[in-house]
Formats: sequence, structure tokens, C-alpha cells
Amino acid sequence: MAAGNDPLELKELRAFALREPVSGRRYTLLRLETRGGLKGWGECPETTERELGQARQLLAGIPATAYEITWRKLSPVPRLRAAINMAQLDIVGQLAKAPVYQLLGGPTRTKARAMAAITGIAPAELLTSMDKARQAGHAAFSVPVPPTEWRNQGQAYIFNVRGRMEILRKNAGPDADFVLDGAGQLVAGDAASVSAELERFHLLWFDEPCAVSNFGAVRKISSENVTPLGFGRWLGQSGDFQDLLREEVADIVRPAIALHGISQIRRIAALAESYYVAVAPYHDGGPVATAAALHLAASIPNFFIQQIPAVAEQDKQMRNTIAGEVERIKEGYAELNPAPGLGVQINEKALDKFRDRG
Amino acid sequence: MRRRQFLGGMAGGLAVAPSRAAVDCGCAPLLGQALGQAPAAGVFDRVGTKVRVTKMKVFGVSLTPDSDRPYVFVKLETNQGVVGWGEATLEGKAGAVMACVNDFSEFIVGADPMQVEHHWQSMYVHSFYRAGPVMGSAISGIDQALWDIRGKILGMPVYKLLGGPVDPAGVRGYYHARAGSAEQLQALRQVAKLQGITAFKSGIPGYYEWIETNAKITRAVKAMQMLRENLGPEIDIGIDFHAKTSPSVAAILVKEVEALNLMFIEEPCPPENVKAMARIARRSTTPIATGERLVASYSCRELIEMGVVDILQPDINHVGGITALWKVGAMAEPSGISMAPHACEGPIGGLATVHVDAAMPNFLVQEICSGIQPETKEKVWEEWLGFPAMRMVNGRFPLPEKPGLGFELREEALAKYPFGGTRPMARVFHADGSVAEW
Repeated sequence: MAAGNDPLELKELRAFALREPVSGRRYTLLRLETRGGLKGWGECPETTERELGQARQLLAGIPATAYEITWRKLSPVPRLRAAINMAQLDIVGQLAKAPVYQLLGGPTRTKARAMAAITGIAPAELLTSMDKARQAGHAAFSVPVPPTEWRNQGQAYIFNVRGRMEILRKNAGPDADFVLDGAGQLVAGDAASVSAELERFHLLWFDEPCAVSNFGAVRKISSENVTPLGFGRWLGQSGDFQDLLREEVADIVRPAIALHGISQIRRIAALAESYYVAVAPYHDGGPVATAAALHLAASIPNFFIQQIPAVAEQDKQMRNTIAGEVERIKEGYAELNPAPGLGVQINEKALDKFRDRG
Repeated sequence: MRRRQFLGGMAGGLAVAPSRAAVDCGCAPLLGQALGQAPAAGVFDRVGTKVRVTKMKVFGVSLTPDSDRPYVFVKLETNQGVVGWGEATLEGKAGAVMACVNDFSEFIVGADPMQVEHHWQSMYVHSFYRAGPVMGSAISGIDQALWDIRGKILGMPVYKLLGGPVDPAGVRGYYHARAGSAEQLQALRQVAKLQGITAFKSGIPGYYEWIETNAKITRAVKAMQMLRENLGPEIDIGIDFHAKTSPSVAAILVKEVEALNLMFIEEPCPPENVKAMARIARRSTTPIATGERLVASYSCRELIEMGVVDILQPDINHVGGITALWKVGAMAEPSGISMAPHACEGPIGGLATVHVDAAMPNFLVQEICSGIQPETKEKVWEEWLGFPAMRMVNGRFPLPEKPGLGFELREEALAKYPFGGTRPMARVFHADGSVAEW
């Protein structure tokens, strides 16, 4: 990064690859520093030394405040853009002594509805996972579809999906809510059948019911029933989301916080708002991205729910050690953090302990 | 309808009610309950600031006693001593907009000015009828004033809060080509070259009926050709049809001037019917621009979705202020649509637009309704603000460095130009007395 005089110019960029001990979940924290000594943190799934080198060159001369412009400049290193965006906003917030959601025109809400992704194949496993999430304060749960045996599924599969959901609801009570996570694993026809079977179950939505290979296939699901559909965790461009909306196939859009950062999701949210469609960022990473997602939630009008990764106790300890308790959930809602910037204090000394050693 | 008893002090919900008996029309079950709940003044305490709007003032400002477009300015005062200014000018409807701004007083006075998106939503959604230019302009004025305060409290010019600037050298702009002859245009070209001006806009002569004669079409085409011939190939030219042409007439004109490679044709027909405009656009390569009469990002959705326009021109004083102009820009970007915001009112809206322009990656060019020589109104603006607002330097509007919108304005400065009342804008008629668009 070239020399300049502006104290807000970005001076240093460092990456810390981390790995959770139990889940093995990997993510990389990025630390951005200005010439004036302000430090901001961001998070991305992973990066390489080569990408970091490119990013340092591309960031030369850019002030921390020019976060919208930085996004374009960083197009050669797409994997780093979201993290750098979070880190820039973290810096701008510290500079202005305001939480990021306030910089961006919020708070639009006092707390952010939260959702836990539960895991398991057998109903008993799902129940255990859900109980843990409930104890952590969650009231909404994303539930994976059962694994498939053949390419196309029969009636037994459809009944199985429904049966599992009913067991979960029976246990969690009428006030618990569910997202069915297809993770793109079903063919569109099966997804439409499952979706139709669950119309009166009132899922919050059916997420990634099939792969978005083309809109004709996806429209088959949305045109045959009224179960809301969610898409977007793998989509990288805001134009992809615009297409989902204009093709009338998405009831909720799910840009990944680790891919799009705060600013790009705000732009996607502006698009979605004009279609009366909500945003529920996808998130399966670490605590800095959680913090970023919660600031985003409180800065846009059409936020619906934030996925909070479900973590094992030992992993939670790691997250708390490096970033403090970012994910405070109570009665189904995550607390907002009114501290300046992202409001995350990173314990740099602890980072090495959890370093991803490959 | 029945009058609900006001039930003070009920907790447990976020509904904000006016602190007086409200009428429950019975349309929405449970709304009666919400109306009875305690005001939510404290709801945002933990996550908000202690800054509060203490007063809202609206100013009608007529530069001349019979001005047909008095400026409407909004001033918000806070408990921190910081004030914010915004502009809600709506040509021909000044009185209605001033009343509408005042209608929003209960939304804003007592509120935390930092949460502008929340207030925008509340003003728009809780007004129930949504959109409309009167409400859009009122929201615009309040929104700009809130952003002015936000920037001042956070210690940054608004364009930095929005993540800009794209170009620290400023925002590219265009003046109107106030030139009626080939000689005047050639002179304009020379001055433009010296001043670094890169673009101009002009109109087409006369008023147009539903179908037009060969003579009128030829005259309009010649007028456009004259612009290109005399301004030369280096200057970008926009031509404003001002929606005075029908789609049928506009389609012919737009096709005829393809070879001039114009920067855009603006408002080739009125804005209500997107399909009609699409029919013009798809039969020509000439870029199409529109948007000054649109309110809220919702109103731009179909234009963007159908791929009708190349350029959007929302007006920050009508579309819903900084918040809404930014949203339109964000929506337009993935479709490859550029932003060239309209600005034909006072200096506050103009300066507010420059901030948003500076932060939009898909920004193209900024209008100011003035010629290359400063006009009377701009002398007044300079008298108010102490600097030549909306005058370009080297073809660009400079970026303000001060926090907020970047200017100070004293109420006393406006007093010299008292509100002269609402006047209708121009009313023009065809030869047979029927109503014409201008």
C-alpha cells in the first residue's frame, strides 16, 4: 500500500485463518489498519497470501470511508471484498463514534429476529439439536431435508419430511418457527411436491428447494404452491438477485454475509424492497460476520431474520474468546450492539491458539 | 366508526400512537389496541442516541413575488444545537407541500434524527396512501434535513457516510444550452471548452399533438441536428422532450436522431405508462432517460425490470430525499442503468444530490437548471450560502468538505424573499384550445 498523508488511508491488511475445534468450521478474520492507527475487523471464508498481496495493492490510496468505491476496486479479489467492507465500516464507525447500523441510517429495529440452523438426520438428533438451540434462546430453526437415496423421491420421502417437521413443531410448541433447508439437493419436481405438502404447515419458508440452474425449473415450484421460497446463499452478484425477483421465484432473498458484506447486501435489500421481499442473510461463519450481519439487520427496513450458526460448546468458547459474546439471543431475537463500529473487540493474542493449521 | 378510549400506559408493543384519542375505522382488527398503546419514545433508547429533534420549521421562499415555483425549505432543530436543512420544493404545489411537511411534525419532533431510514419508512408506510408527489416532496425535505444532522453529528460530509467519493475531483455536471442560433451554439462550444464543461441539455421547440405533421417533425429534428452540428462531437448532448410528445410522435423523433449519438432523450412521453415508454425505447438505439416525476424506489422498479431506460433521473426533492435517491441508484446498477439526477429547484436539493452522486458507482452526470453564465437565482443562492452553490469548476460540481450537507444557512437570509403564495405553473394550449403538455 503506497504512502500518503490521509490518516484515513488504508495502511495495513492482515489475515488470520481460524478453525473451530469441534465443528472444523473455517473462517478467516481480516484486520485493516489506517495510517492514523484505526483498526477494523472483517471476516471471509478463506484467502491466500497471493490474494492478500493483490488486495494490498488495490487498496493503496483509498480512504476507509470510501467503502462503496473499494468494492469495485477489489473485483479481482472477490473473496476478500466482504471482509474488507466490514472492516472499513468498522473503522468508519469508530471514527464517527457510532455503531455501523447508525452510520447507515438505522436503527430500523430494536433487536434482530434470529434463527438457528439445527443438524441431524434422525428425528431424535434433530430434537437434541433443536433443544440446544432453544436453550440458547432461539425460537426459529432451519431444518435440513433428509438425505436422498435416489435422484427422484417417492411418497415415503415426502411423508418423511412432513413427519419430521411435525415432530419438531410438537416438541417446540406452536410459537416455534421453521425453515426447511433444501440446500439445493432436490430436483425441482420433488421440491415442488414437498413444498405443496407443507403448504398448510406454514413454514417460514423453504430454503434453496432446488439448485438455481434456470428460472424455468425454479418457477415450477413457485407456480404450483404458496409455500414461500428462499434463494441466494451461493449467488455472487446483485444482478442474480434482481433476476430472482423479476422472475417472481423468491419470497425471501438470502445473500451470504461472507460473500457480499454489509454494503452489497444493502444494495440487494433496496432491490428486494421494491418487490416487497425480505432479506435474511445466509451465515455459517464466525463471530465477526455475525456482528456485521446484525448491524446490517438494523440498518435496512426489509430485514426478516438472521441465521446464527449453531455451535458446539467448545466452539462457542473459542468464538467468545476471540470476539467476546457477539451472539446474545433472547426469546428468539439477537441483541444489537450499540458500541462504535462493529462493536467487536478482537483478542489478538488468542487468535494464534485457534489458527487453522491446514 | 366509533371513537376509541385512549388507554394510556399499556406496555408490550412497539406501536407509536399520537398522544390523543384516535379514531378506529374498524378496517384493521387490533389497530385500535395499537392506537391505545403508550408512545414508543423510549423503545430505541438502548440502541439509539440522545439526540432529539426539538423543532421543525417550514419556509416558503419566493425569489420574486409571483414566482411559480417558490422554494420550500425544511429546517430541523435538535437538543444538541445542531440544525439540519432540507428542500421539499414541488413546482406549482408549494402550499400543499408545506402543509404536508407540517403533517409529518408528529413523526419527527421528539424523534432521534440519526435513524433516518426508520423515519422514512414510518412517514411513507404510516401515511397509508404511499407515493404521490406532494408526500414524496415533503418526505424528501425532511429526509435531507435528517441527513444534514446525521452528517454533522457523525462529523462527516454525507457523501462519505454513503461510502464515496467515486471521484474526489467532484461530480460531472451539465448546464442547459441557453442558445437559440447556430452562432450562439458555436460561442457556447468555445466557452465550454475553456471552462471544461463536457455536456449540455436542450429541448425541442413547440408543443406536440397526439400525432404530428411533417412540418413539426422536421422542425424538431432540425433543432436537434443544429445542436450537434454547432456544439461539435466532443460535447455530450441530452435532449429533453419534457413528455410533451406522445409515444407515437416520440418514437419517430428518437429514431430520426439516432445518428446524432445523443447522451439521452429525456421523458419521451409521460411517465405513468411504462409499456408506452418501452415501445419508444425498443425501436431505437438512442438512450432514453426518465424519472424526475417518480416518487420512491418502488416507482422505478418496472422501468428497471423491463429494461426500458438507459438512464434514471430521479429528483432528490420529490423521490424521497437522499434515502430514496440512493436506493434507486442501487436498484439501477445491476441492470447497467446510469444515474443522472434531475435538479431544477433550489440550492439545498442541488447540494444534497451532489452528495449522493459522489457515492453512486453508476452515476453519469448531474443536472442544474441554469446556463453557463450564472443567473439571478444563483446570485441569491450565493448570498444565502456564502459560496457559489451548483456552479461547476472544470466541468464538475466540487465536493463540500464540511460535515453534513456542507453549508450554513440563516433564517434571516431567507426573510428577504417572503412566500408569495402558490402559483400554477405554465398552462399551454394547442391552436384549437385543447390542453397541451409543456
